[in-house]
Amino acid sequence: MSMRIFAAAAVVAGAAMTVPAAQAEDITLEFVVWNYSLDTIQDNIAKFEEQNPGIKVNLTDYTWPDYQDSLVLRFRGGTQTDVIYGGQDWLPAWAAAGWVAPLSSVAPAGSVDALAGDIAGFALSDVTYGGEVYGLPYYADTISFIYNAKVLDENGIDFPATWDEVMAASEALRAAGMDRPIVYEYNQELPNFFDAFVAQAYGRGGELFDDEGRAIFDDPDNAAYQHLQWLQDAFSKGLIQPEPHESNIITTMNTGQHAFTVVYNYVLAAMNNPGEQPLAGDFALGRMPGDANSTLGFAKFYAVTSTAAEDPARAEAAWKFVDFMAGAPYGVAKRWAVEKGLGFGQLPLLTDQDVITAWNDWIDMETLAAQVETAKAGMWTEWTGVWSAYFRPLLAQAIVGEATVDEVMTAGAERWNTLRDQFASR
Amino acid sequence: MWTLKRFPFIWLLPAILPVALVTLYPVGHALWTSLHRVMLLFPGEPFVGLDNFVRVVTSNYFIVALENSATFTVVAAPIAVALGVALALFLQRRFLGRGIVRSIVLLPWVLPGAISAVLWTWVFHPSFGLLNGILLELGILERSVSFLASPGLAFLSVLVAHVWTQVPFAVVLTMAALAGINTETMEAAELDCRSSWKRFRYVVLPEIKAMIVVLLIYNALMAFTSYDVVYAMTGGGPGTATTLLAFQIWREGFSMYDFGAGAAVAFIVVLISALLIVAITRALPSDLFGER
Repeated sequence: MSMRIFAAAAVVAGAAMTVPAAQAEDITLEFVVWNYSLDTIQDNIAKFEEQNPGIKVNLTDYTWPDYQDSLVLRFRGGTQTDVIYGGQDWLPAWAAAGWVAPLSSVAPAGSVDALAGDIAGFALSDVTYGGEVYGLPYYADTISFIYNAKVLDENGIDFPATWDEVMAASEALRAAGMDRPIVYEYNQELPNFFDAFVAQAYGRGGELFDDEGRAIFDDPDNAAYQHLQWLQDAFSKGLIQPEPHESNIITTMNTGQHAFTVVYNYVLAAMNNPGEQPLAGDFALGRMPGDANSTLGFAKFYAVTSTAAEDPARAEAAWKFVDFMAGAPYGVAKRWAVEKGLGFGQLPLLTDQDVITAWNDWIDMETLAAQVETAKAGMWTEWTGVWSAYFRPLLAQAIVGEATVDEVMTAGAERWNTLRDQFASR
Repeated sequence: MWTLKRFPFIWLLPAILPVALVTLYPVGHALWTSLHRVMLLFPGEPFVGLDNFVRVVTSNYFIVALENSATFTVVAAPIAVALGVALALFLQRRFLGRGIVRSIVLLPWVLPGAISAVLWTWVFHPSFGLLNGILLELGILERSVSFLASPGLAFLSVLVAHVWTQVPFAVVLTMAALAGINTETMEAAELDCRSSWKRFRYVVLPEIKAMIVVLLIYNALMAFTSYDVVYAMTGGGPGTATTLLAFQIWREGFSMYDFGAGAAVAFIVVLISALLIVAITRALPSDLFGER
């Protein structure tokens, strides 16, 4: 053996001894998200990887409408998935199916409780199932009533405090030449479609379910029943312009041909973005109309899958990642809030000066604080997602007058109560 | 001695195995699923016989979805084929810019169904939509129409979008069939018959009728199993106005978490599709594909 061959063999042998040791410590987490602002996510991941050598994060994204299906397929198909974006409406079913794990199973003792103390009530409720916290908020928001303040001023119309006043204002605007004053997100396949309806019923002071979880919205005196009638009336009067997605609403409202809409707060941030929208600054947040002025608050969150939780090394890495993205001192949540206007569930950010300064550009913080204070969580059970998929097409039918409010509410309540009983005897 | 004739099955295995893996196994698994209760929210996967099929067929959406699918198929398939044949005949002619027009006609073929659906969603949009813009400009409408939120118009809109995606394939196959016609026959026809309709009826049509039948079967199946355009344009709505059986496979499985019911709907779709193929082929003249 010549010296050259010996030297080469020594190098290879040395590498063989060192490389596997380094590789053994490397973990690649599979992180699955819906495709909102991927550049920011990638940048956050890069910062995490820099701070945590040995942990890599592989990002996979799906569109929002395809997200739930894709996740179900990944879970059912056994595709490696470690950390995910979760939704409040999916959590009970996914937790019951054993797809996601409580954070206490991956986090050091006491750390989840410490963070939970900082989370807003409705958001904490949304990330909790069976008394266990399953996620930390990626963002938390309320569904809000948004209006074009300039249009109302120009037409001498006061901000409508009740739904009857919204109807009257819309009719007045219609008489003044505005074709369809109300823009409404109308897409029966999106969970938002039901969530927005609940938010409006909460505004009226209604509850859809009693304390024992039975459906009560089929009662004609129930606020949800009355509100569906209101939507049907408004649609039949030609006051509502349906839009399939919130992204369309941003553009449509910026034509100046519409006055009211009901969407997430971050949509208001986009509407009032002076760099992108022609009428930025004209739009304002209003309290949800109705006697209670309440609304639906919700949280989207980072959750760890059960397969990740079962592998100690992967579980540790997954927790580090979730803690980086949503844990104290809430740098990533703050970044989303400042740069994108995403709401947050971490209460300390409410008093963060950078957040306040950034948000003052597009939303009235006083109104927001009042809205958040009265926001309520939804009724999320194992069967809510399945029931909602059944109920949304009915809701859509009623709004456009293809079914009566009574037919829809009766069918919806019966289905809910049947599912409730089935789960009780499961 | 190893020869092709002595052990044909072994030699065919490399071809049969992948086919079996990617077709027979999924179909078999789907059949198994349709006969079991596979609901993600309930533990276990017990055998339930035909319960899933009974539940699906007696559900409140099934008849509507079946009617919608039947109407969709009966209307969309002949229109797509007729337009395809008409465009192919037009594109056979020599005119300035024929290459560009051919490319434009074939454009929908290269677009994924979901992209086409998004494109058509914008065409039908009440504020920015091309169609509303034209109709308002011409004074046909006084105010814009929400095509996708009105049950009757939503069905029509989805149908238009679906046909648009299917026409290019019909054009390509018809052009291939037209290219196969003997040029001398065509020259003789032009000398003997001045009427272009009669030339088409008595010379061209007999030559391409086999292709037209193939296209009809293909388009009937594509329409009956259409999913992507409905999903992206209306989500099956408003209500059940555009809910097709194929769309309901997805809804049962991924919205309702009931894969047993979803597989049952899938098998019903397969069964009806098979009947459709048999019915169309039985209705054909026996010498259609025979030697001339």
